Amino acid sequence: MAHVQQSAVRNRLLKAMSADDFARLQPYLEPMDLASGQTLAEPNVRTEHLYFMEAGVTSITAEGANGRVEVGIIGREGVVGATPVLLGTDRAPYNHFVQMPGSALRIRADVVSAAVEESPSLRKLLLRYILTEMVQVRQTAFINATLEIEARLARWLLMCHDRTDGDELLLKHEFLSMMLGVRRSGVTLAMQQLEGAGRIRAKRGRVTVLNRELLEEMADGGYGTPEAEYARLIEGA
Amino acid sequence: MPRYFFNLRYGPHLDKLTVDPEGDELADDEAAREHALQIVRDLVAGPASFAVRDWFACSFEIEDENARRVLTVPFSDIVPEEDDDQTA
Repeated sequence: MAHVQQSAVRNRLLKAMSADDFARLQPYLEPMDLASGQTLAEPNVRTEHLYFMEAGVTSITAEGANGRVEVGIIGREGVVGATPVLLGTDRAPYNHFVQMPGSALRIRADVVSAAVEESPSLRKLLLRYILTEMVQVRQTAFINATLEIEARLARWLLMCHDRTDGDELLLKHEFLSMMLGVRRSGVTLAMQQLEGAGRIRAKRGRVTVLNRELLEEMADGGYGTPEAEYARLIEGA
Repeated sequence: MPRYFFNLRYGPHLDKLTVDPEGDELADDEAAREHALQIVRDLVAGPASFAVRDWFACSFEIEDENARRVLTVPFSDIVPEEDDDQTA
């Protein structure tokens, strides 16, 4: 089968790589579809593969007595499984599952480990990506300590919108409740406020983003920091 | 099991309603009331909302699948009544 060409990939990390670094990985990249609900990495299980996301969204979740809550989100800007492998271990204590279906380029963890041993520039790029993941998580901690449900929801919708094509997001309130760690009634209430102001349109299990700028305003400083860091660190903005 | 919808009454003049689009399956009306009280506790303990100044002014208007009102549960029901304390 022909190798994936760098000009054809949609993953922002693969795009940002030097041609030499891409060539190191290229023969090992396997295209695959991602189904809704599919598990890509289980807690405390050895990481066999990394997944460069091409389309769709993967959620990182933590589980507790009251159910699971999302603690991170990875789309086409990222790669699932990078953190343990780049930082010299082989597993992470979180679940990673496909929240919105799409596709990925899968690669064996040992191939990535060997490639970063040989290429300082590849190691640097992937470590910088891990740094942007940390910024995202710290931003979530800040938001959870300070912001209203509406601002959290606005930020989350913007993050999903960044990672999808088009303006329509398929999302049940029950699911959003889990993702935001807020009761479904709180999600529905917040959705109504965003809808009332013309930022989104919400219909059974479907959210349409109508006005991103207004959504960013509603996110009240909660959105933008990790996104700007990504652009600076990965894409040299 | 019957499905119950937990519509939320709120706003400065209690003139606003969010309609629960999904609902929850629960054994009976009493279970629906208990479920409502648990949601209230979590909402009150959780993050604030731009739309709600005072959670305790809100109530759940619980409907069945035929959009018939089954129960109203004021959020203030999670606070024990003073009488209970005095007689205790």
